[in-house]
Amino acid sequence: MPELSKPLPAEDRLVLLPKNPGAFFIFWQFSASRAEAFRAGSFEPGIELRMSCVDDGAHSAVTRADWHTGRAYLPVPSPGRTYKAQLYAQRGGAWEKLLESNIKASPAAAGMAEDRAYASLEFHKKVLS
Amino acid sequence: MSSRGSLMFLLHAHLPYVNHPQDSSFLEENWFFEAVVETYVPIISALERLAAEGIRPGVAVSISPTLGAMLENEALEAKLQLYVESRLELLEKEVERAKNDPALLKIVRHYQDLYQEAAEIMHKYSGDLITPLKALQHAGQIEILTTAATHAVLPLLARPEAVRAQLAVAAEDYEDRFNRKPSGFWLPECAYEPRLNSYLKLSGFSYTFTESHAVELAASQAPNGVYSPYRTSNGVGLFARDAASSREVWSSKFGYPGDPAYREFYRDLGYDGDYEYIRPYLGSDGVRRPLGLKYHRITGPGADLSAKQYYDPDAAMARVEAHASDFLARRMKQTDDFYAARGTRPLIVSCYDAELFGHWWFEGPAFLETVIRKIRQERLPLQFVTPSEYLNSCQEPQELTPGISSWGENGYFDPWVNETNDFIYPAVYAATDKMIETANRFRNQDLSSLNARALNQAARETLLAQSSDWAFLLYIGSHSAYAKSRLEDHAANAIKLLGEVIEKRVDETALAELEQKNSVFPRLDFRVFASISKF
Repeated sequence: MPELSKPLPAEDRLVLLPKNPGAFFIFWQFSASRAEAFRAGSFEPGIELRMSCVDDGAHSAVTRADWHTGRAYLPVPSPGRTYKAQLYAQRGGAWEKLLESNIKASPAAAGMAEDRAYASLEFHKKVLS
Repeated sequence: MSSRGSLMFLLHAHLPYVNHPQDSSFLEENWFFEAVVETYVPIISALERLAAEGIRPGVAVSISPTLGAMLENEALEAKLQLYVESRLELLEKEVERAKNDPALLKIVRHYQDLYQEAAEIMHKYSGDLITPLKALQHAGQIEILTTAATHAVLPLLARPEAVRAQLAVAAEDYEDRFNRKPSGFWLPECAYEPRLNSYLKLSGFSYTFTESHAVELAASQAPNGVYSPYRTSNGVGLFARDAASSREVWSSKFGYPGDPAYREFYRDLGYDGDYEYIRPYLGSDGVRRPLGLKYHRITGPGADLSAKQYYDPDAAMARVEAHASDFLARRMKQTDDFYAARGTRPLIVSCYDAELFGHWWFEGPAFLETVIRKIRQERLPLQFVTPSEYLNSCQEPQELTPGISSWGENGYFDPWVNETNDFIYPAVYAATDKMIETANRFRNQDLSSLNARALNQAARETLLAQSSDWAFLLYIGSHSAYAKSRLEDHAANAIKLLGEVIEKRVDETALAELEQKNSVFPRLDFRVFASISKF
């Protein structure tokens, strides 16, 4: 899996981006002190990404990940609705909310058919040489 | 004959900003040179010919700010001239090599004409191709739109400040380049989400375009489908792309460019030629790569590259005529069917990447010219309209909130967000967040000239990091190392410059180098990124 070659500033950040009606992309970064807390074992390595629907406030889905992976794809519980995500980590047996994402709408599912795939072919052709 | 419907052609011209003034030859700059010779010059020539004959083209052309900057960049113009001269030199040798092979000689002469035309147009306009486009717009022959400053996929910019900066910088850039305020905005990758409505309005745009399924996914019913314009709740006009007319032109299975008589894209003298003979025309690394001289035709479906036959320009032009007639017949059937069903005259909106006319589909500019000419010469009941003309003359469009969508693969954001390229977003957001935070901090402060320059350059670097092109190149695995390094460099440059301003230790020499290299948006004011922007 490709990675960045240059280090980034250590900052807290949780960003939710739309991918398609079935998936959000989410990535997270931690400040130096939080990253150190994970490394030192103050937090358990397993985090929870809790996605909630902004339209009705319901907690819709929970995805588990390792803190150091930094990114994940989250299934969209109900396409066409608006969500935000929260990152929780466990310390001393209790879950703590560490980060909250931006709010992002998921696209509704269209009857996408093969006959629409031509659009993306245009981009391929542009950079072939 | 009165019109049965209207046809709107939009050509979206965009290339990522590639400018390496320190290098006499840089591989990725060839994207620009090839596009100028194969696409921009032939299209400009076609538009000028039509206008000179009294046939108003009436097409819309969106020119991305990064492409506009490259078209006005004198260093790139000088390199472009060398590129064209070098190809003409090679073609002189090719004439000699082909002198006993009439079929090959015919296509070599055809390429000589192509490159000679590029040389003449560049000379005529002193190397600046914005000049003829501006003149065509001024004369009412075409309508020019803009797009996001660095062609960012706007729904992937979570921060409102970043979206607003992409639009505000584009609007200002357009005004500087074309001496008028822009009306139309092409959403990069046709990527739409409803929150963009307010930013479009705020930056003064009066209309934009969406993919066809954006209308199908709309919150309310769109009775005319893609065949009429709509407006957002805040009054921004919306045109939806017609899938059928696009598919006929671009589908690899059913589209015109796959005709056996048309030029084959993949076979190129850069691979076929004797190595020592073509070596002076390859890059400094000497690696074989396309030279843009492609002498063969598609020949037949599935034909092996080695079995391709020579291209015949006359035979190809005969097919252009046939395809233009077929395209127009299908549009007339579309308009007739719609009129019969709804009793109103439809608008068919056909949007294409401009670079595919000429660069990919060699005969594309001739097809475009033939379609426009045929409507007039054969007095067909169709009329070409530009977006502003249509909005100014049609009834008040119905309000609509289109669905989130793009024209990329599968119709959403998969090409720009997937496991080949998702690692870039932490860098993009680190630069963007830092830029916004620093703009807020310094927006009301008196700044030294050096600090203001550093902040403005950081804003340029941030915008360049947000370009859609880096993610896309990583996705298709083409020039991936270049895309990754560009993305990382722009983000790192922005973060470094912002840090230097905060720590009061701006490196003026390094800043000057960046200003020379990444010299887009000369009037850019970093405050465009502030949370409450003066823009």
